[in-house]
Amino acid sequence: MSLSTKMAYESAEELVFGTAKNPVKYGFDLEVGGGCVYPELVPHPRPKAASSKKEIVKEYKKMITDVLDVTVGLGFPGIQIELEHVSQMTSNPDWGAEVSAQTKALLEKYYNQYGLKGAIRSTIADHREPLQEDIRNGKHMEYMLEAFDACAKNGTDGLSIESIGGKEISDHCIVREDIRGVLFGIGVLGSKDMEYIWSKIVDIANKNGVVPAGDTDCSQANVAMFMSGGYHGKSVSHVFATFARAISAARTLVAHEQGAQGPTKDCAYESPIIKAITGDPITTEGKASACAHSDLMGNLIAAVTDLWSNEAVEYQDMFAGSSVKVFAEILSYDTALMNTSIEAGQAKILRDLMVHSDLYRDPQAFILAPHNAYEIGSAIVENSSSYYERARAAALKAGELMAADDNLRLSQAENDMLKTTMEELESFPEKEEDFIDECVDHYKEIITDFKPENYGL
Amino acid sequence: MRALKDYSNIVVRYDLLDEKEQDTSGGEKLNDESMQQVMDCIVKGNKDGITDAINAALEGNDPLDVIDVAVDAMDEVGRLWDEGTYFLPQVINSADIMLEALDICEGEMGTARESKGVIVAHVPEGDIHDLGKNIVTALLQANGFEVIDLGVDVPSEEVVEAVKEHDPIMISGTALMTTTMSGFEKTANLLLEEGLEVPLVCGGGAVSGEYMGGIDLGIYGGDDATKAAPMARDAAAGASWKEIREKYNS
Repeated sequence: MSLSTKMAYESAEELVFGTAKNPVKYGFDLEVGGGCVYPELVPHPRPKAASSKKEIVKEYKKMITDVLDVTVGLGFPGIQIELEHVSQMTSNPDWGAEVSAQTKALLEKYYNQYGLKGAIRSTIADHREPLQEDIRNGKHMEYMLEAFDACAKNGTDGLSIESIGGKEISDHCIVREDIRGVLFGIGVLGSKDMEYIWSKIVDIANKNGVVPAGDTDCSQANVAMFMSGGYHGKSVSHVFATFARAISAARTLVAHEQGAQGPTKDCAYESPIIKAITGDPITTEGKASACAHSDLMGNLIAAVTDLWSNEAVEYQDMFAGSSVKVFAEILSYDTALMNTSIEAGQAKILRDLMVHSDLYRDPQAFILAPHNAYEIGSAIVENSSSYYERARAAALKAGELMAADDNLRLSQAENDMLKTTMEELESFPEKEEDFIDECVDHYKEIITDFKPENYGL
Repeated sequence: MRALKDYSNIVVRYDLLDEKEQDTSGGEKLNDESMQQVMDCIVKGNKDGITDAINAALEGNDPLDVIDVAVDAMDEVGRLWDEGTYFLPQVINSADIMLEALDICEGEMGTARESKGVIVAHVPEGDIHDLGKNIVTALLQANGFEVIDLGVDVPSEEVVEAVKEHDPIMISGTALMTTTMSGFEKTANLLLEEGLEVPLVCGGGAVSGEYMGGIDLGIYGGDDATKAAPMARDAAAGASWKEIREKYNS
């Protein structure tokens, strides 16, 4: 494994939406991070449409046509479509492949007729069951890889996944606010699983001439974020979710170290940190993903984005037409404003306005502001001896940043969480092997079906 | 980055308006110090101390009396949750410790204590997200219920078979995806065809009160898992699915 040892940017001030050090150009002339921001629309089929291949292909045709029609109808220059697999599309690789091929044909039609720029991301579903199977060689891995290959051969331009390695530990530990388990589940096990699967995904992408795009810690850090909720939330502390997010950056980075090029997955809220380290283009979601979930950084998370996403919207009728049409319009107008500011030489002003909107809304937003994301990224690359050490360093830096800014107000309970979590993090072993030994022994007793061999341990 | 002068028109931190002082004193003190230790370990989430505390309490007390103290401790945890002092992780940590305490006491008794009722828990077919189910299961077990955990991706037919085999007082289901929650409706229909009117309490990211209200047998479990135990107690007392729905979903 080859861990990152330097930052792609000299300073946080260089980071801005629309431009990445390593832009990705694919599909029909779509260049992500090449000087402007594009929308990424994620349509989601209705439950009944997932009943057969014929129905799901038909549903996607309607959805994509609605999206492309409104994009041309309102004069937007380009759009990326994400085909985020429902389980049937991965477990039946030919379903996902046919949807991808059909989507490519539609994009080609609009490109030829109007010059509309476009590309497709296929996100394969990860159904592996770490407590029950060999996740490296079991049947779920097998048909995941088959689905990647099938989509790559049938029109997909970028390959992604929301991988779940380490989730069996992090799920147990997030709801108990056990930072050691979160560091182990995300920082160590998650990273090791990423190393394994992304070497394979990159191989498949390279063989088929498509882009290995990126991953997200949705299955872990986003669980913490969703459970922390809004200000009414009583499930998980917001500060705790912030620590989980910082750790997740060290884990999601592994895909890029294996050869992923971006754009990252939309729900990888840790992406600003990834961009600061790698210079790869990123996708983010915020206010326009309110159709799928809330977050406390709806504007801030756009500050350094390259693809702006709606996460997922189910195909339903609204007053103005279908939901996918509506959200394609919302996203596209957002990107039009960002691109206007780029053209007017005012991008960094808009970026800073986005940041200030949410900087002190919540600690989770606070650490993803470009200047703080850069600090956490620096801590990661400066502690590159092991996955564990850099993940722990990321968490410690996040804690230091939260403690140092008096404008970030925290409740007494959240302040207590900050203090005790930092004390715990500081008490953990320095060396990865010692930490792993301790954790394997401890968590095997609690989660009796935990299989360390799934992670090469 | 320099902060702005005034953020009051940008964000209002409503969570900081009415902060509660955390009262974890554990209510009225017990005369028996060893029993008080058991109470404190469970209420305050002291996982490291519970084994010694239980063993000390068992030296001078009947296991059933020690279990009663543990149950009272969980009631206190429930009170702290209801008043907003405790969050879900504290409740779950206390539930974990409670289960450990029960294990030791039941070991001493040589038999499991009588459960308050059997509940079948599952995640519907096509859905592999089990976190919600695991939280509900932990809380139900800590409150004295026996849970038959069918796992994830469970076809409706399998749920019905489990109901026939175990005769539960309630079924619990959690679903994260809209594409899978239709499994609850299918399960309800199959149960009704067999004349099995068992309350079907469902929750999870995809599920809404409106959706469950449209299904006979259906009850919405709420935004978090903490209503599961009170609903189960009502089911154990003989409340019908309609009565439970009326009480919790109106």
